[in-house]
Amino acid sequence: MNHGRARCSARPSPDWGEPVDYIVLAQQIANGLVNGMTYVLIATGLTLVFGVLHIINFAHGEFYMLGAFFTYFAAQLLGLDYISAAVVATLAVAALGILANRLFFWPLRREHEFTILLSSLGLALLLTNGGELLFGADPKYVDSPFADSIVQAGQLVVTQQRVLIFVVGAVILLALNLFIRHSRMGKMMRATAQNPEGAALTGVNIRQVYTVTFVLACGLAALAGALVGPTAMIFPTVGSWAVLKGFIVVILGGLGSIPGALIGGLSLGVIEALAGGYISLGFAQAIGYAIIIIVLLWRPQGLFGTARRT
Amino acid sequence: MSNRIFLPLVIALALAVPFFTANTYFHHLMVLWMLFSLLALSLNVIIGYIGELSFGHAAFFGIGAYTAAIVGMNFGLAGIPGLLLAAVMAGLFGFVIGYVSLRIVGPQFAILTLGFGSIIYTITNYWVDLTRGPMGISNIQPLGLWGEGGVALTGARGYYYLTLFLVIAFAYACHALLNSRTGRAFIATRENAPLAASLGIDVFRIKLLGFVVATAVAGVAGAVYAHYLTVITPDVMSLQYVAALIIMVIVGGRGTIAGPIIGALIYVVLLELLRALGPLRLVIFAALLTASVIFLPGGIVSLWRRLTGEETKPREAAE
Repeated sequence: MNHGRARCSARPSPDWGEPVDYIVLAQQIANGLVNGMTYVLIATGLTLVFGVLHIINFAHGEFYMLGAFFTYFAAQLLGLDYISAAVVATLAVAALGILANRLFFWPLRREHEFTILLSSLGLALLLTNGGELLFGADPKYVDSPFADSIVQAGQLVVTQQRVLIFVVGAVILLALNLFIRHSRMGKMMRATAQNPEGAALTGVNIRQVYTVTFVLACGLAALAGALVGPTAMIFPTVGSWAVLKGFIVVILGGLGSIPGALIGGLSLGVIEALAGGYISLGFAQAIGYAIIIIVLLWRPQGLFGTARRT
Repeated sequence: MSNRIFLPLVIALALAVPFFTANTYFHHLMVLWMLFSLLALSLNVIIGYIGELSFGHAAFFGIGAYTAAIVGMNFGLAGIPGLLLAAVMAGLFGFVIGYVSLRIVGPQFAILTLGFGSIIYTITNYWVDLTRGPMGISNIQPLGLWGEGGVALTGARGYYYLTLFLVIAFAYACHALLNSRTGRAFIATRENAPLAASLGIDVFRIKLLGFVVATAVAGVAGAVYAHYLTVITPDVMSLQYVAALIIMVIVGGRGTIAGPIIGALIYVVLLELLRALGPLRLVIFAALLTASVIFLPGGIVSLWRRLTGEETKPREAAE
């Protein structure tokens, strides 16, 4: 369950007197923000699929798992360097998203939401256990040239890999935001989100919107997996971890809201880091679930979500 | 074939089955089948009657199992008091969790129960003083009448009859419930909650009632499981078990009584038949779930009706 924690969370030794506490605190927050950015990447795809297509995709975490494993195998078998392996893996999983949509989601678009939820649960189990079959159950490490070198800012110490996670995450989110706001396809996606029938009537190709949404969502999850792979162990059951974190973030931020996913993800990362650092690791694991319970009861539409049908 | 002849025949067959063979492995599978039937029937109350998906049902199974194990170990009450206490504990958790989460419907409810289930799983894993953490509790006493001494159930055959009795009793209770005023209120709530509310049904109370009954029965199943296997680990609350229970109910046929029992049979039989295949068998289960959801939404039971050409009773038609 410790996946996602840094392999090298280098930290200044805590016996330097009074101001050190602040450095430890800042270090925890920095670690939390990086973990949070991976949650944001995972949750953005989940929230996109819900926001545009009104589908809760239980299998979303499996694409994160596939992203990490594809990166590993692209590096091992094809001999690619880390960056190209990550790009290849992200593109491959995004392509798998097309297949998943065609087989599991598109044919069921007129069915009850439970049917789709159960179908995605089936897909999740297929991918987890299929992954265990193909990749083996033993944990693996993705090699990255950035994993062992550090960046130092003042007394804060962060590995280059973790800086990379944060920067790539931020850039991708910005690009996604521009895409949804200004591109033709982005506008079609927003129209579908508001009213699928109305959008179809005005000539929006719903089938294409489904495809693009799943490609984006699966690609984002895979990218998160490819980025986090070098900082933690990867194993085939990591998908359920990822989807649980994704659910916590989207509930926190509001299902369907991308800014909500950003704020929700970063907050969850920081809260977990602080809880883990100052209270206990077990508590850090449970606190995310406690947060969704409180949020769902207090504001079922999420902290940033607008009221919508449930 | 009318139910009047068919049902007693099935029950007589179920009573006689252990005598066809002295193979204890076979008896063991029968016990597992009955335990999973009880669990699937209880989850069916939530999925089939209330019409909500619960992803946290395995946690209540675990609560029952741990309650029975801890009470048996620390207070020597490994018997009927343990079973009752397991039901009360699981039902109490069910009441609190149901009370807060049943205000929310649809996918959010599923995620919420998943969250509660995960919290219970995490706490069980980390509260080592009480639950011994990931090591689990072993050497749980066999089930007796009232603590140690006196009669104790040991063989698989004894557990088979106990679980068979529980399954028949609960199946009968479900049947009686469906034909009662409360049962009709359940169905009305499932089909159209606002309409049911407009007819004067207290939707929230009906849902809570169903949820608490389902969780308490899951607790009893957990307690019997703990005493039968004598070992219990937090893994019984993991997502794997949650998925297994959902597969049983959906593949068998939600909203029916025979469906979950048949689903449990399919699960236990396939699990044993495919044991040699390792991880592949779970892939097969996943495929089974997906195929059932897409091609046979009413489950295996609806196949039977389709074959015999009997009209689907609207009351039992799965949504």
